[in-house]
Amino acid sequence: MPFAFPRAAGWQAQRRRAFLAGLAPSLLVLLAITLVPAAALLVASLTPLSLTNPAGTFHFRDPLGNYLHLLEDTRFLASVGTQLKLSASSVVLQVGLGLGIALLLHGPSRLLAATRAAFLIPMVLPPIVVALIWKIMYTPDVSPLHRAAEALGLPVSSLIANPDTALGAITVADTWQWFPFTMLMVLAALQMVPESPLEAARLDGANRWQLFRFIVLPHLRPVLVVCALFRLIDSFKAFPLIYVLTNGGPGSITEVTNYYGFIEAFNFSFWGYASAIAVVILTGVFALSWLVTRREWNTNEHR
Amino acid sequence: MTQRRQFLAAGAALGAGALLPTFAAAQGGAKKYAGVTLNVSTFSAAYPKFLQQQLPEFEALTGARVNFDTPSFPVYNQRVDLELSTKGPAYDVVNVTFIYSSRWINSGWLTPLDDYIRNASLTPADWDINDFLPGARAPETGRDGKLYGVPWIAEALLTGSSRFDLVQAAGLPFPDTTDDLVKVLRAVNRKERVAGFVSDNHYGWTFVPYLHAFGGDVFRKAPDDLFPTLDTPEAIAAADYYANLLREFGPDGAVTYTPDQVIQSLKQGRVNFTDQGQLYLAQLGDPATSKTIKTVKFGLVPKGPAGRFPGTAVHGLGIPAGSKNKEAAWAFIQWALAKQTTRKAILGGYGSPARRSDIESKEFRAKQVINGTDLAKLSLDSIELAAKTGHMKYRTVSVYPQVDQQLNKAIELVATKQLSAKQAMQQAQAASIAELKRSGVNL
Repeated sequence: MPFAFPRAAGWQAQRRRAFLAGLAPSLLVLLAITLVPAAALLVASLTPLSLTNPAGTFHFRDPLGNYLHLLEDTRFLASVGTQLKLSASSVVLQVGLGLGIALLLHGPSRLLAATRAAFLIPMVLPPIVVALIWKIMYTPDVSPLHRAAEALGLPVSSLIANPDTALGAITVADTWQWFPFTMLMVLAALQMVPESPLEAARLDGANRWQLFRFIVLPHLRPVLVVCALFRLIDSFKAFPLIYVLTNGGPGSITEVTNYYGFIEAFNFSFWGYASAIAVVILTGVFALSWLVTRREWNTNEHR
Repeated sequence: MTQRRQFLAAGAALGAGALLPTFAAAQGGAKKYAGVTLNVSTFSAAYPKFLQQQLPEFEALTGARVNFDTPSFPVYNQRVDLELSTKGPAYDVVNVTFIYSSRWINSGWLTPLDDYIRNASLTPADWDINDFLPGARAPETGRDGKLYGVPWIAEALLTGSSRFDLVQAAGLPFPDTTDDLVKVLRAVNRKERVAGFVSDNHYGWTFVPYLHAFGGDVFRKAPDDLFPTLDTPEAIAAADYYANLLREFGPDGAVTYTPDQVIQSLKQGRVNFTDQGQLYLAQLGDPATSKTIKTVKFGLVPKGPAGRFPGTAVHGLGIPAGSKNKEAAWAFIQWALAKQTTRKAILGGYGSPARRSDIESKEFRAKQVINGTDLAKLSLDSIELAAKTGHMKYRTVSVYPQVDQQLNKAIELVATKQLSAKQAMQQAQAASIAELKRSGVNL
């Protein structure tokens, strides 16, 4: 069959072209709705665009003006510091708590299954509902937590009005909502841990900690990295909690970078400047993702 | 809630049947705008809700169809600010929001209404623009002297006390001055577990009457000289005084209180005093939800060393510059704020009219007396005072939102002891100057 191969290749190429032609419209739409807004953001960030005078301020005479101004904007720099503190603390807490609770709840009993389901509730609540729940929790007059503490003779003053505890209070609320994400992922990964090395280690006299440290954890490591990365990226979007609980205050203690960008855009109408802030956040998230994924710790091989 | 339900129910009952004869004649007969669709947007509030119920009347009268959209206050402002800036045709009638009024009017984003009002074929003489309080028309007027919005709400910032019985038990009268207020609060604070004072943490609104009372101001002379004056000795003294009210007499977490929380805490009798808008304070008179209806008392904001300067807020209906249906839009505004329509609203329980004839009507006055205090009179006095002194001009300049933010922060910083009043106000001054320069203001 001397002509069989070229004919098969032609048929395969034709099939690939047909698939591509079929995919092209949705790919084009996907590109348009992801890339065009990002490009618009980048373009706006190179202008001093202000809504009070959009025609007069949409120009490129000083394209890096916004970015240079960011370097000397103390409120922006402080917001980056706040963002880093919030991101680091919430990611560590969420991954740690999610891992711990998943290990506790990993098992076949019905009670454990019901508890697992209950723990997922915060994650499926709309963020604004979570914020309102915690607004109640943190308002001493109506909070069951504050009342319980008072009944025990240990009154606690408002955590969101105190500059020393406000950011921590936001971290706790964010952790409450999102530790179930790590828990869910770890529970799924635990199903995949092979039984034979565990059994062999047990026979060799390994204790529970050694089983976890040398067999379970290496298997969970890629999942934990993915969880941390997802939560890290998501932590840059912390908005409803801050908007509802503290409004960035008291003072600027909980003002994270995207909240500051929101104020610049929607309170002050500086859309060019707010776009530059958004571009910096975007770049930061990309850089962090790259840094985390380029490390080769997301494999489950022993090192 | 009950009041609001009664109000809406009454609005519905008055319904679409009664035509407005003067309005119809002026429009040259019915169905003049058949085929026109008007897009109207305001923030969600009692009067727009009443108008939504009355829409069939307007549609029957003119033939126009109306899409009436009422998002929440911040969403409305962001959406309309963006739309007006593009001079787009998406809206035909919008609310001219008080704090944005100068920006929207003086940027040329709205349509002057004087020609429509003067045109006898479009507006009957008895519609009477002069019936709207001069103090309410002032912020709707541009630098060119033209009117860009017709006010539908004029409200004032007043002082409220939910447990005035505690003050009486201490043998003290309602505080008239800033010194009196402190004296009263010292006497009643924490009595029966009631905190002395709290305010909405939008301090760029609730603190400013005290700033003025101490002889300070936001700008050197708004709207012509916008150099901020937040670090003057008077402003620092006012910030120290006000932050101390929150720190010494506030409930736990006072700096986190939003307007709804403030009113709830007064309704439940957990906090005694506040300074708040009349519409919010009127909720303390709701027998269904207020536990303090029998002990509540209201008064003007206190007088300071420099005098008394109540805060006022006015919202009006205006026509965007980009509207393609301006004449029909004017017909809508005229109908929405005709004497017959506003009177219907008053009869239904609407609490904050801008027409003098409504404010002075027997029906309105009867509804505004709560536990012996006439809220309407207090509000009218405040609005007239504001018109006389012009102290509210600071609030309608286009860059006020920038300074407003700084004031919110400064009071929080002082109340939570992060900075002294002097440091916080100096920081607010420096930040305001920087923001205003970036906005292109020549300082």
